[in-house]
Amino acid sequence: MSDDSTSPFLIEVNEYPAFQHQQDKTVLEVLESHDVEVHYHCREGFCGACRTKLIEGDVRYTTDPLAFIDDDEVLPCCCVPTSNIKLQTY
Amino acid sequence: MKYTTFNQHTVDTMAEPMFFGNPVNVARYDQQKHSVFEKLIEKQISFFWRPEEVDVSKDRVDFQKLSDTEKHIFISNLKYQTLLDSVQGRSPNIAFLPIISLPELETWVETWSFFETIHSRSYTHILRNLFTDPSHVFEDIVVNDEIKRRASDISRYYDDLIFATQLWQTQGEGVHVVNGEQHVINLRELKKKLYLCMNSVNALEAIRFYVSFACTFAFAERELMEGNSKIIRLIARDENLHLTSTQHILNLWIKGKDDPEMAEIAEECKAEAEQIFVSAVEQEKQWASYLFQNGSMIGLNKDILCQYIEFIANQRMAVIGMSPKYDVSNNPLPWMNNYLHSDNVQVAPQESEISSYLVGQIDAEVSAEEFGDFDL
Ligand code: FES
Ligand SMILES: [Fe+2]
Ligand SMILES: [Fe+2]
Repeated sequence: MSDDSTSPFLIEVNEYPAFQHQQDKTVLEVLESHDVEVHYHCREGFCGACRTKLIEGDVRYTTDPLAFIDDDEVLPCCCVPTSNIKLQTY
Repeated sequence: MKYTTFNQHTVDTMAEPMFFGNPVNVARYDQQKHSVFEKLIEKQISFFWRPEEVDVSKDRVDFQKLSDTEKHIFISNLKYQTLLDSVQGRSPNIAFLPIISLPELETWVETWSFFETIHSRSYTHILRNLFTDPSHVFEDIVVNDEIKRRASDISRYYDDLIFATQLWQTQGEGVHVVNGEQHVINLRELKKKLYLCMNSVNALEAIRFYVSFACTFAFAERELMEGNSKIIRLIARDENLHLTSTQHILNLWIKGKDDPEMAEIAEECKAEAEQIFVSAVEQEKQWASYLFQNGSMIGLNKDILCQYIEFIANQRMAVIGMSPKYDVSNNPLPWMNNYLHSDNVQVAPQESEISSYLVGQIDAEVSAEEFGDFDL
């Protein structure tokens, strides 16, 4: 999607300042690298522990997500942003 | 409606509801009404493991070092888990298979139950290693009041659905008197029983193992009973998948994406369903009190354990549209996540106690080398 000339997508979560997406990292890994506490168990998209509200933007899944999520929710453990995104943790 | 093991009529399963439609005939998975169950089957099979692959021999030494309180905690949890998996190894099959109408759901339930039997077998593996004769542990499960109290609550909704289904499939709709007791049997009542039963199973998979899991992983944090902990990690991974399946079933109903009547029933039985979840949470907290009645174990006490149960209960209630009930917003046992992370649970082949498994590994390596000489 993004070539070298475009800057990385921004990930906004709760009240934190926007973080830049880091290549090859899932949204969960990016948040963890900034010490944002996101709950997780499986880190593979099947348990739903990381379920988070997607307020704005789009993501692409790196693993087919199995856990139940609502239409406005994402699983940060197995997705990467495909636009700037805004999240709200539960 | 009478059950048949091979329904001879042509049925378009893409138009069937999950339950109480036509009995399934052809076990086909090329098309799925709800593809999530097919994906769950594949995932679950990819998790296949054998208890014997986990070396528990060091646990025997560790066990002797535990205090009496800690031994009580350890063994009681194993008893409780044995009860849970005894129920889960048979009940989804007996209760759900006779009323399922989708091949992918039918096979999911069978796959799910089969893994519960692996869990049961693993308790025997663990206990045989700790005791020359583990009979006293198993025998206590049906006489121990604390366990029995839980057993009756867990099996109640299953038993109720199974009995009503049997009446319906043999006598049809109507008012039937069995042993002087009247039973009103109609499809709506059956669906209600199914809805409540599924909520009870969902609460079981969501909550009922977690006091035990936390104690196991607290031992492992102290590098004690690590073989057991490895097994429990494999079990926990499976349980998370089972929970995902019941969450999908409930949400398909609630959101009107399956049988529209089930959406009405979900609305009608909202309070009762929530009560089922809340009492499971309460019972787990009581279980924690029972475990710690003679004292705590290092790294864990009753209060923090109860908070953890409330914490995961909040999350797991929210998934099925119930409002979170408890006042805990942060994970009181953050180290639990490390044990529930699925990458951390692979069984290393060198740990295997079973020679056939090792032989399989060696064979695989040899043939890989032989093929290396071929230019393709
Ligand atoms: S951590 Fe399990 S689905 Fe994300
Ligand atoms: Fe189990
Ligand atoms: Fe289970």
